[in-house]
Amino acid sequence: MRYRRLLFLAVLLMITAVIAAACSSQPVEVTRVITETVEVPAEPVEVTRIVEVEAEAQPKFPEGTEVKILQWSHFVPQYDVWFDPFAEEWGRANGVNVTVDHVNIADLAPSLSAAIDAGEGPTLVELPLAAANFVEGVHDLSDVVMRAQELYGPMAETCVANSYLPAIDKWYGYCHGWVPDPGDYDIRLWTEAGFPEGPDTWDDLLEGGAFIKENFGVPMGLGLSPEIDSNMAMRAIIWSFGGSIQDENECVTINSPEVVSAVEYLVELYNRTMTEEVFSWNAASNNQGLIAGELSYILNSISAYRSLQKIDPEAADNIGFVDALKGPNGEQHASAHLWYIYVIPNYVEGPELEAAKEFLLHLTANYNQAVFNSELYNFPAFESTVPQLEGWLANDPFGSRPPDKLQILLTAKDWVTYLGWPGPSNPAVAEVYATNIIPTMMGKAALGELTPEEAVAEAEAQINEIFAKWREKGLVGCNE
Amino acid sequence: MAVVEVKGLKKHFGNVKAVNGVDLSIQKGELLVILGPSGCGKTTLMRMIAGLERPTAGDILIGDQVVTHLPPRARKIAMVFQSYALYPHMSIFDNIAFPLKARREPKDAIRQKVEWASSILGIQHLLDRKPRQLSGGERQRVALARALVKEPDVMLLDEPLSNLDAKLRASARDELQRFQRQLGITTIFVTHDQIEAMGLGDRIAVMYAGQVRQIGTPQEIYHEPADTFVATFLGSPPMNLFERNDCLVGFRPENFLPPGVLQPEDKVTAFPFHVGRVEYLGSDRLIYGTIEGAAEQNKTISKLPSTITVDIEPDKVYEFVVQAKDLKFFDKNTGKRIEPQPLD
Amino acid sequence: MQKSAAEETAVYRATTHSKTQFLFDNERFLGTIFLAPAVIYIIALVGIPFIMAITFSVTDVTVGDTSLDFVGLQNFRRIIQTPQFQRALKDTFLFTIVAQIFVAILANILAVILAQEFRGKWIARMLIMLPWATPISLGTIGWLWIFDSKFSPIDWILQYFGLLGTPDAIFGASKHLNFLGREELAMASVILVHIWRMLPLAAVILLAGLTSIDSDLIDQAQVDGASFWRIHFQIRLPLIFPIMSIALLFGLIFTFSDMVVAFVLTRGGPVYYTQVLPLWAWFKGIDGGSLSEGAAIALFLFPLLLVVAILMLRVARRSEVR
Repeated sequence: MRYRRLLFLAVLLMITAVIAAACSSQPVEVTRVITETVEVPAEPVEVTRIVEVEAEAQPKFPEGTEVKILQWSHFVPQYDVWFDPFAEEWGRANGVNVTVDHVNIADLAPSLSAAIDAGEGPTLVELPLAAANFVEGVHDLSDVVMRAQELYGPMAETCVANSYLPAIDKWYGYCHGWVPDPGDYDIRLWTEAGFPEGPDTWDDLLEGGAFIKENFGVPMGLGLSPEIDSNMAMRAIIWSFGGSIQDENECVTINSPEVVSAVEYLVELYNRTMTEEVFSWNAASNNQGLIAGELSYILNSISAYRSLQKIDPEAADNIGFVDALKGPNGEQHASAHLWYIYVIPNYVEGPELEAAKEFLLHLTANYNQAVFNSELYNFPAFESTVPQLEGWLANDPFGSRPPDKLQILLTAKDWVTYLGWPGPSNPAVAEVYATNIIPTMMGKAALGELTPEEAVAEAEAQINEIFAKWREKGLVGCNE
Repeated sequence: MAVVEVKGLKKHFGNVKAVNGVDLSIQKGELLVILGPSGCGKTTLMRMIAGLERPTAGDILIGDQVVTHLPPRARKIAMVFQSYALYPHMSIFDNIAFPLKARREPKDAIRQKVEWASSILGIQHLLDRKPRQLSGGERQRVALARALVKEPDVMLLDEPLSNLDAKLRASARDELQRFQRQLGITTIFVTHDQIEAMGLGDRIAVMYAGQVRQIGTPQEIYHEPADTFVATFLGSPPMNLFERNDCLVGFRPENFLPPGVLQPEDKVTAFPFHVGRVEYLGSDRLIYGTIEGAAEQNKTISKLPSTITVDIEPDKVYEFVVQAKDLKFFDKNTGKRIEPQPLD
Repeated sequence: MQKSAAEETAVYRATTHSKTQFLFDNERFLGTIFLAPAVIYIIALVGIPFIMAITFSVTDVTVGDTSLDFVGLQNFRRIIQTPQFQRALKDTFLFTIVAQIFVAILANILAVILAQEFRGKWIARMLIMLPWATPISLGTIGWLWIFDSKFSPIDWILQYFGLLGTPDAIFGASKHLNFLGREELAMASVILVHIWRMLPLAAVILLAGLTSIDSDLIDQAQVDGASFWRIHFQIRLPLIFPIMSIALLFGLIFTFSDMVVAFVLTRGGPVYYTQVLPLWAWFKGIDGGSLSEGAAIALFLFPLLLVVAILMLRVARRSEVR
């Protein structure tokens, strides 16, 4: 009897577990969603539209045209609150049935991959980066890009690199925006260290960071782990030291004295300013560090700062922003935090395809709303669509003290780069990113497992292999 | 000399008083049978002696040592369960050797003792087999051999014959007794089968409702039952009982005879016996009926051996007699045996 | 009068009413009906994905290009060269084996304790099952917070007792242990979560095994003079060995094929010290776009798992008793 009850319990729990596991089989980045939550400001600012949508008497598209949009839940919730009605309203005006689904940012690539394999699914899928992997499975959007450039001038280079693949001359995506990744520093600590305006060069960072760690026990936080922030931070060092993973022609250039010197610098930076914490860096680390006041400098989008403003305004006042740090030769590059790249899978046809393209242009026309509702998190692919940006950054409508604290972001367009810089974000670059080869290279050197030269050589071997593979498929240039 | 002594032993499971004050004393070399219906507490009593249950109150002594709170392995006992409890994953050799290994005896000694025990029980040829390859009778011998190798002070047997079929049971009983006498091993044997008990026991302790109702030789138990429970539990058919003069009068069916069978000088009491039905069982005849004039409607049985050929027919009243010495008297309320009373 | 066999059959036929009336008395028909869901399930959710994985692993398919061009074993050759793969292979084995050894030991202890009678036993049993009933990703996120570099409660406790964060503390002068930032601690953390996850199932399976052992055998062993440990190792364990090997087999396969624990806790870090094959397959195949190489990595362990499964099932069958 007891045996049967026990067995029953076991079976019941197993069933529960299976169901629960099925519901959560996708790995989730819950921390990110939780920590990047930002509230809506109390008083919205009047936004003027640059291009008014013409109200047409006749719907443009045949009845029953549907556009299904799949994108991530924005880190600033207000963005979604604005976006969904915005898209649906456009649909009503044009006789298109628009639905918007939001999923976790990490689920987009797997979903798209499955949709392409199945030959059906959403019309528009928004990817944060590395969209070039899907180049063969999605439509060429050159007509939309050309039309947008006609209307609004040239697309930002960082966006072009994330939506155009030169090897096959294809606009596989439409990048409507990007997110700058400035340096955030603790004003009080850096003033003590003699840098009231924050560090300006990587040397300043080393000097001031070491001083702060020695005297105040507060380490610096540049991630050195297999995740996005670390990938971006490590690349920033490489680029500012004059190195790169590939060149403009998509030839691998990782094994250079510049890259080795960047690795050597990182080793010193790690030893003098950081703790092992950077090896367990995750999406929440920036926020935790800022809120706990336990990091003297981080590289991050403004979302961590925005949440700190709500939690602890005093602490937020102590945060300052600096532009990308300069290398030994004054070079200054840092990647965007992420991009907004819409792709349209090949299975989308006819009026649905046309409607989707039309919607992309409509979004671009109203991009000032997007930027405002993301609390200045999104930056536009076409500068001319948001003439108010300069004013907003000079006088933050979301309560920065001093109000011009974010003004430094105006310079972002000059130093912002992208995965693959100075070449395009091709599929090989995406795979190098996804497999965390650069943080691994840096980490091995920092822990002394390999010398900087060995670490670079090992990374080069892997990168060459990846590039060769995609080159064979004709998707990456630099054919010898 | 008492090998096992039980003093005021009690075991209560919540409100259930499984064993409720038992005193026993078992002599060296004796085979004591604990007899009782199922649920009478006999198995609990044995498990307490083995150390598998902790008594609620009372003491157990084995070989003059108080073992009440000692674990089984600190008691010099062996036990054979009704299921034989052979370890299914071990060979017969390992099964028999297990108690010796547990005692960490040297290998040679183990081999010697296993061979000795298995030869006594005639199972040498089975030593390499697994329990599942053995018949019921063979398993029983293995279990006995395993009990034997320990050379225990006392061996506890819990209905070891009940899993055997009827034919095998008789010969196993015989064998068991012979072997117990031969080795002189003190044994406590638990059973609910009175034939087994009568046939095997040097003494029998009859248990009912957690108490020992009577303890004595099979003859004592049978002929001089201490109370109505013992009187009716033993014997087949059981003792006839009816009320007369504010006490219970009882006699065994085989002592309830037609007149003329007994010698004239025997002192007898006569009862008018209204015969209801006659059953021929070959060696015996069972006559069912009622005694007329008894206080209540009663059922009385007479058991006549086939050597008595008197004609008995249903629906007639006969004068049946019982010898005075065969009449037993019991208190009407307590059921306890009392002195003979005059019957008018 | 005697009827011929043919006549008898004819009479029998005449008495059957219709073909479908006794359909549900037909064992073959019923068998097919009852088996069908299982067969469909296996084909659709196990068979097809498995065949797809094999196909992918010998082609050059990517997330964007689903056309299948045969490339032989090129994917396998490519993947085994990388240090990440080699580390992942090593770690997958290490994590699985170490975790299962602990699970086997702890599950035995737990099952023996839970088999005893004590107050509140049912609550204890329910609580112990919780990790298994919790979705693995949620459970692991809980552990992620426990191991957090700044807010780890373990750090707080150690600091409170002066074992951490003072110049001469046992665990060092640093305020934090950085569980997921140090090679050994991160590996131990991943293993710990795997143990935490698999322990309940193993314990309950063992408990069921223990409860099903004839209590006479244990009593008999006690009377035979065996100590607790002798009874456990010579009677209980051999008797529950078949069911225990099933529990361990489950654990092995679950742990071998799990990517969530490492994904949530460390994403393979620090550096690549907790990389495991399923996670590496995910990074390569889904995030990196090389579906074919991801499939090759995922399939790499298949032959080995197959052998393990067959071995364990065999052992279980052979040691079946009664």
